[in-house]
Amino acid sequence: MTPPTRVPRGALVATFLRSFSIQGSWNYHTLVGNGFAFALLPVLKAIARGDDRELERGLCRHAELFNAHPYLSAVALGATARLEADGEDPEVIRRFKAAIRGPLGALGDALVWAAWLPVTLLLALVFAFLGAAPWVSVLLFLVLYNIGHVGLRFWGFRAGLAAGKDVGLRLRAAHLGPAADRIARWGAVLLGALAGVLVSGERGFGAPLWLWGPLAVGAFVAGLAGGQRAWRPAAFSVVAAVGFITLSRMMP
Amino acid sequence: MGELAVLALVGGLLAMDGTAVGQFMVSRPLVAGTLTGWMLGAPELGFLIGTILEIYLLVEFPVGGARFPEGSTATVIAVASAADPGTAGALALGLATGLVFGQVGGVSVTAMRMLNARVVPVPRAPEGSLAPGAIVRAHLAGIVLDFARGAGITLVGVVAGRFAVARLAPAWPLHLPDTRSLLLLGGVVSLGILVRSFGGLRRRLGLLGAGAGAGLLLGWLL
Repeated sequence: MTPPTRVPRGALVATFLRSFSIQGSWNYHTLVGNGFAFALLPVLKAIARGDDRELERGLCRHAELFNAHPYLSAVALGATARLEADGEDPEVIRRFKAAIRGPLGALGDALVWAAWLPVTLLLALVFAFLGAAPWVSVLLFLVLYNIGHVGLRFWGFRAGLAAGKDVGLRLRAAHLGPAADRIARWGAVLLGALAGVLVSGERGFGAPLWLWGPLAVGAFVAGLAGGQRAWRPAAFSVVAAVGFITLSRMMP
Repeated sequence: MGELAVLALVGGLLAMDGTAVGQFMVSRPLVAGTLTGWMLGAPELGFLIGTILEIYLLVEFPVGGARFPEGSTATVIAVASAADPGTAGALALGLATGLVFGQVGGVSVTAMRMLNARVVPVPRAPEGSLAPGAIVRAHLAGIVLDFARGAGITLVGVVAGRFAVARLAPAWPLHLPDTRSLLLLGGVVSLGILVRSFGGLRRRLGLLGAGAGAGLLLGWLL
């Protein structure tokens, strides 16, 4: 181990800001590996203190294959910055990154993509179909969602920076998994509310409800039973219906 | 011509927000539709298309390397195609064009990621070295490519959508409420899919029922 280095605040801020583009060069070889090295570059530069060879070796280590949820990758970036600054053995850092990427991906998918994003969107959609002005729904979604988004990135980066390779303990203590489940419960309520508003509100399914109501229930059940596989056939059915209705009217 | 260039610019910028830079979700159909509609002087139509497409795309998230329909370009194309006539037929054809180009956008993201794989420097040995310039250039190239991809698809989609709307929309026989109901049907499939993400019907039946009751009441009252 080499002696610890104090990383300037400016380099840490630059790395945090760069983490917002960590997926900029997403590719099928190293996934977000290049983005990870790009984000960590200011910290590595500060640690190398003008030693180009040291900097290039560090970049090579961090451009390797890496993947995680983009928001929680800030956790890995913070922790890696701490480990690099502490002069930790490169092999230990490599093993740490390999160990943490799976959990960060799974946790982020459950918390953000499967819970926070749809819940904030559903809330905005309920407002929209109840007749709220466009800017109300849009701002409600953008502000609420990004409080969670930016807050999670910031918390993750700080937690990683403070805990280094013990960041797993911080993640467990934060109870993000149970938080995802609690958010999903609200999601179920809002999903039901949107379905109700679509049926009874004047901006949803119009009259005659005896026609659109059963069709809507059928579509809902199709999604429930088919899962993700039902999405493309549903979208293409609508496109085909639009095409058929239009062309049938144009035929002589 | 100037309007097309601005729409392509917006499509490119919103596509970048989808995965490459930020992910502040200004690329979601709800936001992209309202923004595009406001730019074209049809904010209500843009909002309507945005909300309908948002329901479709509630279940499509940029998870890892998954291929997903691209909501931002789809929405810009749909709104820009429908905005001028603003009729029920324009809404139907614009949204259908958007759905088709959303798939094209998804395929193009996969192609771009393959191209990125040729550009990024791949470490050959654990103890090797990589120049900072190579990392930065590859990263910026990926971002610029994403912008160009989004802008290009938006441009082609808007031209195709406006052509289709101009030729076919006058023949559309349904009124706005029926058109909206037909378009919403495909989106409701996504609501069924989303139940699984929230824990499944059996676990969440009570909460779903409570929400549906509240929604029915609110919709009726308001």
